[in-house]
Parts: sequence; structure tokens; C-alpha cells
Amino acid sequence: MNNITLMRDGSIVQNGETVESVLLMFLGFKVDLEKGYTLRSWFQMLGKYSLLASLNAFLPTSIEQYLACPANGCCFDGFDHLEFNKTVEMIGFPGNPRLEIYNSFHGIKSHKTFALKSVRMENILDMSVRLGKLKHVVFGDKVDIFEFDTVFSLFEFIDGIAWELSFHGSPKQCEIGR
Amino acid sequence: MFEKILFATTASPTCDDAAKVAFNLSLKYESEKLYVFHALGVPTRGFSPFVKDVRTGETEQGDPDYIQWVKEEMKNTYAKLIDTVENCELETTVGVPHTEILRMARKKDVELIVMGAHTRQEDIGATRYRSVAGMTMQKVAKAARCPVLIISRPCTTCFKLFSHIIFGTDFSKASDSAFLFAYKAAKDVGARLYLFHSCDISSLQAGKVPGQAEIEEKIKEARRKMEQKYVSKMGDFDNYEIEIWEGIPYVEILKFAREKQADLIVMAHHTREIDPDEAELGSTVEQVVLRSACPVASVNHPDKVASP
Repeated sequence: MNNITLMRDGSIVQNGETVESVLLMFLGFKVDLEKGYTLRSWFQMLGKYSLLASLNAFLPTSIEQYLACPANGCCFDGFDHLEFNKTVEMIGFPGNPRLEIYNSFHGIKSHKTFALKSVRMENILDMSVRLGKLKHVVFGDKVDIFEFDTVFSLFEFIDGIAWELSFHGSPKQCEIGR
Repeated sequence: MFEKILFATTASPTCDDAAKVAFNLSLKYESEKLYVFHALGVPTRGFSPFVKDVRTGETEQGDPDYIQWVKEEMKNTYAKLIDTVENCELETTVGVPHTEILRMARKKDVELIVMGAHTRQEDIGATRYRSVAGMTMQKVAKAARCPVLIISRPCTTCFKLFSHIIFGTDFSKASDSAFLFAYKAAKDVGARLYLFHSCDISSLQAGKVPGQAEIEEKIKEARRKMEQKYVSKMGDFDNYEIEIWEGIPYVEILKFAREKQADLIVMAHHTREIDPDEAELGSTVEQVVLRSACPVASVNHPDKVASP
């Protein structure tokens, strides 16, 4: 119930049928990913359902970067795969005690997580994307993190990746001043 | 250009990138002094001998031995970098970090403050809901009398080899100071200076999207202001370009910086004409600092940039 599957070619399938035009009501649906789903599939989805590209101010820029990348072979051996997670963090200090819930999108290598911001888009576009677990961090203890199975909505999946990609970009090279 | 530099550090790996830039600047500009400064904690109450560590919240006894121990730690952390410069001084104190950094900058009459964007290592996802750029950085940038260079990523080029400097303006009074810094830096290192303005036509502004004629009028007006306010002050300096884009300012400036492979973005710390005492770090600067692949200099006061 209320499930959609995101396919490798970027299409969205609900109850075995391809969704033709994305409706806002799908944003709250739980997503499953077809085997072999990659970051390129995610961009293809935004191309097919253009309404989704207006969810984040940086998406048009990310799409421009994506379109400038080669059509295949955009992988590197720095990561095994990319993973989308959710974190619930209890924070005691600094500030008042509070609880924050946020999504994150990382590169994974040998069970370790790595930030994506310094990796170029053409190195990760064809890497497989997996849905990870919910991590529960208690008072900054990043060693003993509890992990739980969880679900992700279509909105979280688009918005979380878009947020992460908006941090993307490092200079390719430096030029010598004149 | 930078005789005295203050590098404000949390003495943690989050400041490593900023440390490299600070030491490199000091080396290349043969600065008279580089102060490496760390405010280690806040007294638990009044004149209490105990201090609450600003990062962990743990209570420590802030006696001279403890302070000496912290200094030793700093010396070990930056040992390799300290060897590269001649006049480095390690300073540490008990107090609220931003107040102490500003106090130190004033006392030592520094020309530049270098600091990282965050007090602690943050997950990118988490930065969204927190006081985005670190509170300390925010408060220092707001009140500093000198330029504040904020480093949030490894810097691939050393300052002296910068070839593309972007000055983002909203034509505010504070932007005039930022311009002076950008212009001086570009002239000094022989970089191309991009005078950049983004006409804010975001549909987020009360849902109104201006028409094409109105946008074109705004662009024309912005270009006229650029010529009048900045180009007229540059004399025979011709290594500049004027760029006016339309969109959401922080999105556009980041896009432009990426396109030009910018080495430095210079902006005023607040983007509206408001009383500087009441100004918070403008949301534009905040968003730019977070996402920029290059260092961002926040300048809001003419004190250290007005001289030729």
C-alpha cells in the first residue's frame, strides 16, 4: 500500500503500472528501488517528471552538471556504492537539548561512509544507489550508533539527494595568475 | 597586504583546511605575526576556576597548568605548519569564543581573521536545520572590523596564485568595503576581478514573478550602479568583468563561481541596508559559505581595507 518503485530508467511504477505524470500525492509514498538503480536513474526520473525538479533551488544547476557528464562509465573505485540514510540525533550540547531528524547521502566503502562533496559528478553518476537504515545518534556518541530498518518517502529521497548535491563541486585545477 | 593575521581555531580537525590557508598566507605575505588562537571554554560561573569546554560541554579545571597543556596540544597539532613560518604565536584563553576572537583581533590590530565555517564536524544533512554556518563564525563575521576569511573546504590554490576573484554585491554600504578588499586583492595577486550582482527575481518573494521588461530594466540599472560605484574607483585597472544575472542570489553566485572556477568570493556580511548592530549574517553569505568550493571573505567594515 502506498508504495512506488523507482526504476533504473527513471520511470516510477505503482501497482505494476508506469506513472505517466507525477502527481504530488506520490511525494508521501514509500519508495523502493529497482535493482541496479543508480544516481543517473535519479536524474532520469527528474527529466521524465520535470515537476519534481522544482523541489529544490539547486536542482537546475545539478541537472546542468549531469547533462555535461559522459553518457556512461561514470564510476570510480573510491566507493562500493552510494547510500541514502536517515538520522535521528539527540543533541544535549551546545544549546538546549533537542532532537533532529535529517536525511543524508553518502559514498560507502568497506562499510565506512564518505562525504560526496569533494567527488566530481562524473565519478559517481553510474554508481548504484541503495536505501540505508535509520541511524540513531545519542548525545553525540558517533561510535555506538543504533541502526533500524526504516522507510523513505519519495519527497525525502528527492529532497535529501538534492540537498547533498547542492554542496557538490570542487575546482578541477588551479590556474596561474597572470 | 596581511601584516598581522589571526587564525581562530577550535583546535580540532574541522579547522585543518583553514589552518593550511592561514599558515600559507603568513608565509607568502611574510606577515609580521601569525596568531593561532583558541578560546577553550567558558567559566562555569563568575570567577569559577572551572571551565565548560565549548565543544564537549565537559567541565575542566581552567588553571594555568590546563591552559599550558592546551597550548602544548595546539603546538603538536600544528607542529608541521608552525615550522613553515617564523613569527607564529600560540594564544589561548578562557571565555566565550566569538567575544574572545574579536577582543584578540582588536588587541593585536590584525588585518585578517581566518577561520573555519564550523565548530565541529557536521553531516551535510544536519547542517540544514542547525545554525547553518557556525554561530561563532557568524558572530565574528558580523562584528569584526577587519575582513574574515572563511574556509570550509580544502583550498587548492594558494592566495598569491588566485586568478579569479568574485565580488558579490547588493550595492549596500557594507558592500563598498567588500569591494575595496576584493579590488586590493585582485590588484595585488594579478587576478581577474568579477563584479557580480544577481537581481533577485525568486518566485519565493511573495509569489510575484516580475516580467521580462522589468527584469531587463533591473539589469540595466544594476550595470549603471556597478559603473558608478565600483568601476569609477578602479583607475586604470582593467582586469575586470561585470556580470549581472537574475535568479536567487546565493544560487546564482555559486553557479557563477563554479563556472569561473573562482578562487575567492568576497561579500559583505549582511546583504541589506540595515543597522550593522542589528544585522545577522545575511542568509546569502551563509548559504554561499556553506556550499562554496573556494574560500569566502566576509567584509563589513572599511577599517582595514580603506587604505590604498
